[in-house]
Amino acid sequence: MWFKKQASVLGDFEQLVLLGVLRLEPDGASYGAAIRQEIHAKSGRDVSINAVYTTLDRLESKGLLESWIGEPTRARGGRRRKFYRLRPTGLAALRQAYRAFTGMADGLQGRLEAK
Amino acid sequence: MRLPAEWREFIIGDLEEEFESRAFSSARAARIWFWWQAIRCLVAPPPTRRAVVAPDVTPTRGDSAMQSLVADFRYALRVFARTPSFAIAIVAIFAVGIGANAATFSLVNAVLIRPMPLEEPEQLVRLFTRPPRMAGAPQRFVVSPGKFSSWQQEARSFEGMATYSGQLFTLTGLGSARAVLASTLGAGFFETVRARPALGRDFRPEEDIAGNHRVVILSDRFWRNELGTASDVIGRTLMLNSEPYTIVGVMPASASVSSWGPMSREIWVPLALTAERRTVRDNHTLESIARLKPGVTSAQAQAEMDAVSARLEQAFPNTDTGWGAVVVPLQEAIVGNSRLMLVMVLAAVALVLLIACANVGNLLLARALSRRKEIAIRSALGAGRRRVFQQLLVEALVLSVAGGVLGLSLAYVSLGTVSTLVANQVPRANEITIDARVLLFALAASLITGCLAGTVPALRAGRSDLNDALKEGGRGGAAMGVGTRRALVVCEIALAVVLLAGAVVVVRNLTALRNVDAGFNPTNVLTMNVFLPGARYPPAQRTAFFRTALERLRALPGVESVTFVDNVPLVGGSYQALIPEGYPEVRDLDRMTVQVRQVTPGYLQTMGIQLRRGRDFSESDGEVMLISESAAKLYWGNDDPIGRRAALPFSRSIMREIVGIVGEVRQLSLVSPPMPTAYVYSPSLPAAATFALRTRVDPMSLAQPAVGVIHALDPEQPVQNVRTMEEVRDRTLGAQRFASSLLGMFAAMALLLASIGIYSVLSYIVRGRSREIGIRAALGARAGDIVTLVIVEGLTPTLAGIAVGIVAAVVAARFLDQLVVGLSASDPAALAFVAGALTIVALLASLLPAYRASRLDLVKALRAE
Repeated sequence: MWFKKQASVLGDFEQLVLLGVLRLEPDGASYGAAIRQEIHAKSGRDVSINAVYTTLDRLESKGLLESWIGEPTRARGGRRRKFYRLRPTGLAALRQAYRAFTGMADGLQGRLEAK
Repeated sequence: MRLPAEWREFIIGDLEEEFESRAFSSARAARIWFWWQAIRCLVAPPPTRRAVVAPDVTPTRGDSAMQSLVADFRYALRVFARTPSFAIAIVAIFAVGIGANAATFSLVNAVLIRPMPLEEPEQLVRLFTRPPRMAGAPQRFVVSPGKFSSWQQEARSFEGMATYSGQLFTLTGLGSARAVLASTLGAGFFETVRARPALGRDFRPEEDIAGNHRVVILSDRFWRNELGTASDVIGRTLMLNSEPYTIVGVMPASASVSSWGPMSREIWVPLALTAERRTVRDNHTLESIARLKPGVTSAQAQAEMDAVSARLEQAFPNTDTGWGAVVVPLQEAIVGNSRLMLVMVLAAVALVLLIACANVGNLLLARALSRRKEIAIRSALGAGRRRVFQQLLVEALVLSVAGGVLGLSLAYVSLGTVSTLVANQVPRANEITIDARVLLFALAASLITGCLAGTVPALRAGRSDLNDALKEGGRGGAAMGVGTRRALVVCEIALAVVLLAGAVVVVRNLTALRNVDAGFNPTNVLTMNVFLPGARYPPAQRTAFFRTALERLRALPGVESVTFVDNVPLVGGSYQALIPEGYPEVRDLDRMTVQVRQVTPGYLQTMGIQLRRGRDFSESDGEVMLISESAAKLYWGNDDPIGRRAALPFSRSIMREIVGIVGEVRQLSLVSPPMPTAYVYSPSLPAAATFALRTRVDPMSLAQPAVGVIHALDPEQPVQNVRTMEEVRDRTLGAQRFASSLLGMFAAMALLLASIGIYSVLSYIVRGRSREIGIRAALGARAGDIVTLVIVEGLTPTLAGIAVGIVAAVVAARFLDQLVVGLSASDPAALAFVAGALTIVALLASLLPAYRASRLDLVKALRAE
């Protein structure tokens, strides 16, 4: 309800996607393929492009992201990219998730980082 | 499978971009990567913007009813796409039910409803004589030439009338010799029927006179098969019984009516009676057809014929006393007594569909209740009960129409099988097709069943309590609607009882008829027909031929005895009044008629007919006669007829000595009572014969050798109807066999559906009551107690259903008893059997749910909430 509005609780893949957007935003490269590669490179999860778009779409419909469409490029056979950017609610949600994670993980680094 | 349009550009662009960058290092790896990604994208594409949500449940003011229907329709499709197994199960049940109905209806349509393929067929009537009344005498009989010509002169109701008959010809000169069944037509036949030759001309009136009669009209079939559609056939000759017949015409294919003898033949020739035979009034041998004048009904024609018959009785007291005339519409004459049976079968299959409806209703109700949260949300958002009702009904209709389409295709596929199965049992069976009427029927059946199956769940679901439904963790929903579901099972069982009781009665009736003492023994008897045309075999040669054939047949290994008879039992035959010597000739034709059969010595032994007194015929006998006990009583009363003599009306000069008295035989059919009969033996034999062989081995194994004997005597002599006496008997039971096999099948379907119904309701109840069962188990109930609990749960509606069904069956039986003579549907034994069978089925259907209940995981069940 409006008077108890809280940032959405994020699923773990949603967190990865939002983090991907956050990382790539400054370079102006936060679009599907780049996010997918970033997740693959940093988290080791080889996800499909459609999984990424499905999640992006859901996050956008929750109001955590906004998107715009870029110019056609040659490397893409004249197709356009769809870029994403975090909205304040998205950032808040990600912060909350981060706080929850670090809070819970506090003092456990030794055990979590051990092999 | 394809990507949603809104995503296609970005996804393909991304794939291409990454492929390009990967191709730098390894083109092959890049290709593999690309295809792997592409497949993953296609298998689970990103959602389209219009996500799956319920349609607007509250139509705004502008929403037309049509729009909301379309929305409901689309929503129904989406719901079923989400749970295909449920939809498939229901569509399958509907398909079987509607398919069986459509197939049965297409049969009814072909036989009863669709008009005969003739010009203005409703104006065509068959004319019969009505013989003087006596026990077992037929209601309709063929006509004598003399009576027919009196009708022709006196009756004014008819535009035209004609006689016809059939004759077997031996066709030579076109390949190997073969038998051809021809219709012999009196003058004006084609004119009356309004069939016009495609080539050549119709018969001329003067060709119906003996001597001018050697002309023939060919059927399209004969013209094609035998003459290769030669256009110059008119004027050519055909050798029939070794006489040349000039071809004068060819009928078009459209003139062929397979269900009506005279129009289904290969060729037609004039009847051409001799002047002497034309005046015969007391020998009834001809069929007749007439066309009513426009505007005259068959009832009016009947009234006129009654008056004509009364006048003829005055004019010809010797021959016409007691004889009447019967006017029967042609279609009715052909369809005859199969009407009642077909209507019965249609009613039975409709019951199956009703049971299927109850079953589907049950499934839909379960589903509607499991969806009651969704429904409650819609109601909360303002959907009225009407709106919810409409949506659930549309869902049911979508399923039933899909089932109807599938069922219709099933019916279409099975038509060929159906028509061959019933070919010998139902007239016009070969005309079965799926036409507009059948399509309409199937559509109507689909809509009605959809409404029937959908209404109860839709009403029930619309009634559920909003608050209760919305409450998370409220009663699991399982115990809801149990009353309605039980009621549906009760209906199902009751319908099944009615259907099963009917089926049992019909099957028992058939068995009883098969086992009825017909007075002869049909096992191990082979029969075959041989007709020796007069043109090829004059009487002396004919008798010699038959005697040699009898001799050689008797010599075949495995043959016990051989005989010769004009008509075997159950096929009917001649029907005359005896003239006992030394007694005043009785004119009381009402009673004094006997079946007359011409036989040879050995007939009694071959047919297994009992000799009561006196002796059998012997080869050395002259003109002798055997009579049945009732015939002896009829003519000689208490006097002993053995040694006395009697004559037959058509050969008054020949006095035949009675040598013995034999047992009664059902000559006409198994249903009609035995008739007084006289068996005549005369040293000269008739032209049309049935050979009957009593065998020690399987009678059909002697079919080849027996036909071989005839062909050894005359290679060109056709042999017809080689069949066992049991086949002859079963043919007369065609209608009963048809009804019992179909009713048996439908009863099996009903049983299956009923057991599915019981099973599904019980599993549902067990699931819903798992907590209660868990508590019982926790309190110490043993597995046996729980099994009993579930079985009692299943048996309660079953027993209620059986009780309702028995009442319904008894009421239905009252109605049936009036329609079918000698068939008692309220047979207590049959009802007891049905009740027992259904109880066992209910027990079996309860076993699995009961077993599941007894093996319920206690902890899970108690923790479920």
